[in-house]
Amino acid sequence: MRGRWRPTPALARAVVVAAIAVVAAVVSASPAVLLLGAPFVLLATLGLLHRPDSSPTVEATLDHRWLHEGQGTTSRLRIVAAADVEHVARAMAPTPYVALHPPNGLVAGLVAGADDAPPEIEVGPRRWGRRVLGQEQVCLTTPWAGYRWGPVSLPGDSVRVLPHMRQFASRAETPRPVGLVGVNRSPRLGAGVEFADIRPFRPGDRLRRISWRVSVRSRELHVTTSPSEEDSGVLLVLDALGDHGHSGGLDGEASSLDQSVRAAAAVAEHHVGAGDRVGLRIVGGDGGLVGYGAGTRHLRVLLDQLAGVQPRELPEGVVERLQLRVTGGSVVLVFSPMLDPAIVTATAGLVQRALPVVVIDTLPPGATPRVPDGVDPRIADLAWRMRRLERDQVLVQLAALGCPVIPWRGAGTLDDVLRRLARRATVPQVALR
Amino acid sequence: MRESGRHALVNETRGRLLLRAVVLVAPVLALEAARPDDVPHRWFVALTLALAVGFAAMPESPFGTACLGLVVIWWALASANGVPVGAIPAALLLLAAHVAAVLLAYGPPGLPIGTPVLLLWLRRGAVVAVAVPLLWLLAVAVDGQPEPPGIWVAGLGCAIVICVVAATAVSTGQEKA
Repeated sequence: MRGRWRPTPALARAVVVAAIAVVAAVVSASPAVLLLGAPFVLLATLGLLHRPDSSPTVEATLDHRWLHEGQGTTSRLRIVAAADVEHVARAMAPTPYVALHPPNGLVAGLVAGADDAPPEIEVGPRRWGRRVLGQEQVCLTTPWAGYRWGPVSLPGDSVRVLPHMRQFASRAETPRPVGLVGVNRSPRLGAGVEFADIRPFRPGDRLRRISWRVSVRSRELHVTTSPSEEDSGVLLVLDALGDHGHSGGLDGEASSLDQSVRAAAAVAEHHVGAGDRVGLRIVGGDGGLVGYGAGTRHLRVLLDQLAGVQPRELPEGVVERLQLRVTGGSVVLVFSPMLDPAIVTATAGLVQRALPVVVIDTLPPGATPRVPDGVDPRIADLAWRMRRLERDQVLVQLAALGCPVIPWRGAGTLDDVLRRLARRATVPQVALR
Repeated sequence: MRESGRHALVNETRGRLLLRAVVLVAPVLALEAARPDDVPHRWFVALTLALAVGFAAMPESPFGTACLGLVVIWWALASANGVPVGAIPAALLLLAAHVAAVLLAYGPPGLPIGTPVLLLWLRRGAVVAVAVPLLWLLAVAVDGQPEPPGIWVAGLGCAIVICVVAATAVSTGQEKA
């Protein structure tokens, strides 16, 4: 960004006061007045002597453009042709959900020496999403504060803030493992390590699986069997049809969308780490679909998609036709406050297809609605209470259909539910088609 | 305007408030430094104080030039003869007000003044301030001696030339930039 050098008001003041003093001293023949003006004569002379002839350019860059909530980076200023610059001042405008250090975004410092780096501003996003930092003003000053360059405005950089993955671990196995290689015990027998059964030897069995103790006792060859270990398909469904409650960033209150995004990120990380195939479907906002995949790169894609979630309702025609397009054999985890009929209907449809579905309730306990201007707060409060009563009824009905609804509690949230689903998966069921 | 000024004062650091206090008080004290030989009229003091308030609130405004210029003009009117000792503290106080305003003008309200910048300007202020007692000694030494004919006219000519050169330098700098 380019600017231009201008004399500072301080230089103008020194020149004028010095001129007044000299003229007044001469006119009134008073050496005492010259005494008053002498420092200003010197200051004006020294300021003028440092008249700059360079054309500096400045550029602010961030050390990192991809961050997780709570992480921080540094905004550095690069000055080209800084020969005449003695002092640098930076002022960054505040940005919602971005913490600055210093908190007011104002820094200044001397850059007279070659080793002096311009002052830095530390930036720490406190909420997931795409954050565009506030506009920055930069001002350069020559020695003796004679000339000033700027202030010029620098556009704010953007940072992609990935959701913070609160510690989530689950010791429960995912039901219905149907993949190739993973850590979940499959109902099928295969080349696992856990003991399942001992049976008579059949052609094709591996010799190392022969149980010699049982074979000697029974005088017939027997082999040990074990369940195969396979990966599962996990589909994360995120309800972005609205954002209920107030978001105070990572350290403050969490809105329903905050809870959903952070919980989905934590579960995705856990299952990707366990070797499962994880997919993502965002309902509402701009939508978004990430196919099943595994590995660190896939986790990055999932987190990036989650970071871009914007709350918005579905268009009119889509609500009735909402299909989550879940393939058989997947475990579906729905992260939702369950306040929109569209997501409730779609979830109930999955349950009726006998798919293992778990609803993770992400509505904050003390969530209150945003009251639009011109609406009586008492009416809004009454409507909100009625909406919550309806929601409670919906959750009870979903549970009656066989869909567990659990609030998000972090680590261990899904253990009990997944174990029950795994047990249920071994029982023959009748599916509605 | 009033709200923004109040907001700026609330956000100010203690160091910057101290500098504003220096800007506010120093010009008035520079007037009072002439006591007891010369007593400034109270309306003159009030006018200086009003300008100093504007100078302290907006260090980059023309209030500063007006305030310091007014003090210099009063000294020219008051001390037509002789070199009073009070001129030394008066000069140092005007210098302090100017330097404090320079420090305040380095950035927006709330920008803390770093220790290196403060020390740099204390050193610079001290170097510039050395000229005041030296000049006073010189003035005392030559005070009372017969003046060469035309010395003040020559001085006035020099002063005008210096002012023209300075004004030209400032305007050339503006055009180049």
